Order: sequence, then C-alpha cells, then structure tokens
Amino acid sequence: MTAPILRIENLSKRYGQREVLKGVSLEVDKGDLKILIGPSGAGKSTFLHCINYLVKPDEGRVWLHDREIHPERKRELYAYRQKVGMIFQDFNLFDHINAFENVRIGLVKVKGIGKEEAGERARLELERVGLKEHIHKYPAQLSGGQKQRVSIARALAMDPEVMLLDEPTSALDPELIGEVHAVIRDLGNNGMTMIMATHQIGFASSLASEIIFMENGLIVERGTPDKIFNDAEHSRTREFCSKITDLYGER
Amino acid sequence: MTEGLLYIQSDVLPALLRGFWVSIQLIVPSALSGITIGIVVGVLRVYGNRPVKAAADAYAALFRGIPLVIQLFIWYFGLPYFNIYLSPFAASVLGFSLCSGAYHSEYVRGALWSIKRGQMLAAESLGFSRFKMIISIILPQAVRRALPGCGNEVIYLIKYSSLAYMVTCIELTGEGKILASNSFRFTEVFLIIGACYLLMTSVASVILARVENHLRIPGFEQQRT
Repeated sequence: MTAPILRIENLSKRYGQREVLKGVSLEVDKGDLKILIGPSGAGKSTFLHCINYLVKPDEGRVWLHDREIHPERKRELYAYRQKVGMIFQDFNLFDHINAFENVRIGLVKVKGIGKEEAGERARLELERVGLKEHIHKYPAQLSGGQKQRVSIARALAMDPEVMLLDEPTSALDPELIGEVHAVIRDLGNNGMTMIMATHQIGFASSLASEIIFMENGLIVERGTPDKIFNDAEHSRTREFCSKITDLYGER
Repeated sequence: MTEGLLYIQSDVLPALLRGFWVSIQLIVPSALSGITIGIVVGVLRVYGNRPVKAAADAYAALFRGIPLVIQLFIWYFGLPYFNIYLSPFAASVLGFSLCSGAYHSEYVRGALWSIKRGQMLAAESLGFSRFKMIISIILPQAVRRALPGCGNEVIYLIKYSSLAYMVTCIELTGEGKILASNSFRFTEVFLIIGACYLLMTSVASVILARVENHLRIPGFEQQRT
C-alpha cells in the first residue's frame, strides 16, 4: 500500500458566523476519482477551493505525497498549485488572450519554459481535448463546452498530479455536456487522479471510485457508487439521490 | 488687410511655431509619465498593503484636490525655499505628470475593480505569483478598460498644458499672450491659438482611437459581467 497522493485533514472554513466547512478529511490515492455530491451550500465548492488554498481555510492541513503544504511559504504554495489543477464551474479562461495563449501562458510565465517549446505543448494539449481547429479563437468566440475544454487543456499543460473539478458542466447547455464528459472520462481512463463536484450522477456513477455525499459542511456518507445510489445508510443520502436522479435523468 | 497678413506672416507664425513646439515638448513626456504613474499608483491603490494603499490614496487625493496652477507655483516658486531650483520647463512637466498621474490612477483603479474575480482564481490556480498575475493577466485587461478614460485625461492634459506660461514656460499660450499684448490683436491671435489646441486634441483623439482599435479583442468588451 503506497501513501495517498493527497491527504486532507480537518479542513474548516467560516464566513462570519456561518460555518461552511466543518472539518472535512479525505485521502486520495493515485488514480482515484472521488465524486462530491450534495445540495448547493453543502460546502463542496469551498472544500475544493480550500484544497489548493484559493480560499484560505481557517483550520486543517493538506499533504501532497508526504509533504505538508504551508500556504504561507509562497514559493511552495505556487509549486503545489501547479501540481493540483483546478477546473471551475464558469471556466475562467483569460478573456484577453486566445485559446492557444490561454494554455501557453502558465507554461511561459509560471514554469519559465521557452515560448516555442511551450507553444508545442499547448498545441498538443488543445489537440488532446479536440480543439485543434479553434486554437486561435478568443474565449468570447468559443462555446461553453469548448471553453471548458480549453480550461482543462490549460490545467493539464502544467502536468498536475491531481485535478480538482468544481461542477465542470453545470454552466453548460445539455447538448454541450457530453463533449466535456468525454474529455474527463478520457482523463480518468488515463489514470488521472481527480476530485470532482457534480450533479451529473449518471456520469459520476459510471466513473467514480468513490461517491462522497456532503451536506452542511460535513461528509454525511461515502462509498462506492453502487452503495450510495442503491443502498445508502442515511435517509438524507437516499432522499438526495432520488431527487437528483429524477432531475438529471437516467443513471 | 495686407498689413494684417504681413503681421501674421512675419510675427505670428514664427512665434506660434516656436510655442507649438514647446507645447508638444511639454505634453508628450507629461502624458507618458502621467500614464505610467497612473498605472503604478492605480495598482498600488487596489493591490497594495495597507500603508502603501493609504499613501497612494493620499497622493491621488492631494494632486486631484489642489488646483493645478497652485501645484505649478509650488514646484516653481516654492521649491527654491528648499534650495531646489527647477527650470520653468521642468517644473511644468513635473506638475503635469503628477497631476495627470493622479487622475489616471482613478481610471486604472476602476478598471482593476471591474476584472472578474475568476480571472485571479484561475491565475492563482495555475501557480501564478501575485505580481506575475497582476502583470500578465490583470493589467492587460484593465488597461483596455481604462483606455477611454485615460484618453480623456490626455485630452485634458493637452489643454491644461496652457498653464505652463504661468510659471514663465513660454509655450503656445505664452507666445500668444506676448503677441497679443504687443499688437493688441487679441481676437485674431487667440482664435489662432484656440485652433492650434483644437488641432492637437483632434490629432490626439485620432491616435487614441487607433490605439484602442489596435488593442481591441474579439468579444472582450461584451464580457463585462
């Protein structure tokens, strides 16, 4: 048994009086795909943002391999963030540069790779997500699905060991969800370690190594897709799963 | 009539050309350093730590709040009390740059605030340091949004450069004043001077529109959410 690739212990976050995250722990092994489900406000998004310190947790510790992350050591934090790719609900492509430069800019400015070499890599990553013909388009000229695929290419170019996906398809038209799911599925098949928040439980159950049900800033229940969707222990989990199954159709 | 034309040809034109040239020499460096100061101060006002921010805010309040003529008097007539002697030209450029920079910083500050938080999250998630994020991601977007306002400020600068003659830097307005006092042809002289400023601001408008066009990015302007 090797050490987990990512170990998260007791993450907590408070906004004023409101406790958004109440001590969430998680261990992720290489190749795992953990799916976070739960109602909005459950803390899924905050949890993901806290893992790479985009939101500063009030408490809690994170280890990548065996190294604990000290977010106050800026250099270490920047290096760690390169290892943990993040995909956002609303894509967050850089609006002022085209798809190609969106993917390349991190390589050039953060990793310090030469423009030419970085360009090669960017082209490769964009090809991998099926956007070869669109590399010179600006974000405003791309569809939502294409934007999300660019953002995945942008994260992949940094050679992450773990990917965090925060509801990657929830801002997309139903017709465009498939193309993004295909890319994520492909990543999973290639052994990428991922933590993903999503409501697409059909997709989730076919891919997940574990489903984690969160509510009110806590993990209520976790288990294999089969267990969570068909044989959940907590009534609240069953209730949520049946609702979401009605909403998001077939599993 | 011929007398008038002769006067214009022999006295007015050489003087105005001389003044025009001095004005240009005042405006161009003041505009460039004003914009530079504005960007730096604007960034500090938004992203600086508490004391830096307070200092930058104070700068903007001070130089936007005091009439420019008074500022020029202070640089030219006030500094010699501290044994610092500036030429009329240097005092004018200094005064214009600092005043213009304060106004630019306001436009830049507004533009910086308008950049969506997601742009910063994305940069941070890729491992950008704060400094690199501001330089490579935030400023290129903010500058585009600040451009119309900053262009406006450059037009203002062209016009308030006429205050330089108050500290004896004889530029276009100064030359005009001398000509008019000598000949008592105030109307003719100042009509011509006015036309010269109009010409300068028109040319500046065209250049600014070109720059805006050059920096335009598909859909960028529509992405304000």
